[in-house]
Amino acid sequence: MYVYIYDNFLREKKYASVVKAMEVSLTDYGIAGKILRLNNYTDAKPIIDDEIKRGAKTIVMVGNDQTFGHILSRAATCECSFGFLPVGSNNTIAEVLGIPSGVAACEVLSRRRIERMDVGWMNNRYFVAQLHIPPAKVEVIYDEKFKVTANDKMEVVVCNLQPFYWKKNNHGETQVVHPQDGKLEAFLRPLTKKRWWGYTYEDPSIFPFEEMEIRGAEPFTVEADGKATKEIKVKIKLAHSKVEMIIGKNRKF
Amino acid sequence: MIFQKASPRPTQEQMLEHAHDQLSGTDEVETVVGPSVNVEGDFASEGNIVVKGTVAGSVRTSKHLSVEQGAKIMANVKAGGAQIAGEVKGNIKVKDSLELTSTARIMGDVEAKILVVEAGALICGKVMMPGLEGTEAKLNRQTRSAPAKKVEEQFQAMQS
Repeated sequence: MYVYIYDNFLREKKYASVVKAMEVSLTDYGIAGKILRLNNYTDAKPIIDDEIKRGAKTIVMVGNDQTFGHILSRAATCECSFGFLPVGSNNTIAEVLGIPSGVAACEVLSRRRIERMDVGWMNNRYFVAQLHIPPAKVEVIYDEKFKVTANDKMEVVVCNLQPFYWKKNNHGETQVVHPQDGKLEAFLRPLTKKRWWGYTYEDPSIFPFEEMEIRGAEPFTVEADGKATKEIKVKIKLAHSKVEMIIGKNRKF
Repeated sequence: MIFQKASPRPTQEQMLEHAHDQLSGTDEVETVVGPSVNVEGDFASEGNIVVKGTVAGSVRTSKHLSVEQGAKIMANVKAGGAQIAGEVKGNIKVKDSLELTSTARIMGDVEAKILVVEAGALICGKVMMPGLEGTEAKLNRQTRSAPAKKVEEQFQAMQS
């Protein structure tokens, strides 16, 4: 049985036609199911657990990157398969999973190409795509073996699925690093002062790891799958094959 | 010029594909210690390591280590292969080949199977190559066994 969790923004009029078309397509494929609506302050885990008790086998998230992060940050441990139907803008995770936006995603869902994916664990929640710490004075300890520091502020990006892009030089050349499976990749970009004012980014350092700790003298912002919190100490681990996900043929991992 | 056909602007996907193509050769993620980053402790990796910053403690990898110009390593180094263009204060043990470029500065003992030193590289320490150890031992054994053979021959001659 399929259960669909719609994000709150899909109530907007501009998405009505896409949502309607998707519902028709899902009925055609014979995979239509119960529809639930997600609010900003609801924890997805108890809702999903309830639905699993009622016989749900597949939970389908409908929305964008934020919806994906919001649901899986808590519900990654649930005993079911997850699907994703991307709608609207801000859908970079769907691209990595090989799921096209809009109605075409229903076909991918109906094919049920299931893969077990690694997820990152951060303090007490999970992240699937990426964790980002904007420039802050932090130190990073890897696998309790070695410590990485910078002279000034440092930006930290931990990638699980999402590739890491950065501008190499002023000509706008973009560099891409695709994360490996079975490891998390941390990208550290120290900032150096530029003459009188402003900062410039140095070339990034790359460390593949399974466990790391980020400590700051002052609280720093952590954005995991687009959800921001303030932390003073963050422990990040890799949880192997935690999430069962329906993915597309054109996935990028 | 008003009616000139507008050149198609590359979409975000095309730009990302182009960027991916540029790096297609180096898709394998390796450990990179960037400039103005300091690493302290036992720095071990299963993959290739590129050092552009400062490392203190110890460095270990079963694959290739590359120390770029301007980089500083204050640690004992163990690697499968290495190319050094920076400064190393500590002993270096390389399983395969060690390449020292003209800007390399090494203060410590060096052990490598194959050693390539470019003009201008500085080494302050002992250089050992495991290939020679075997032959030295053989030579020693030969010199030790040679007089014993002579005594045996003399003894046999006396008996006859």
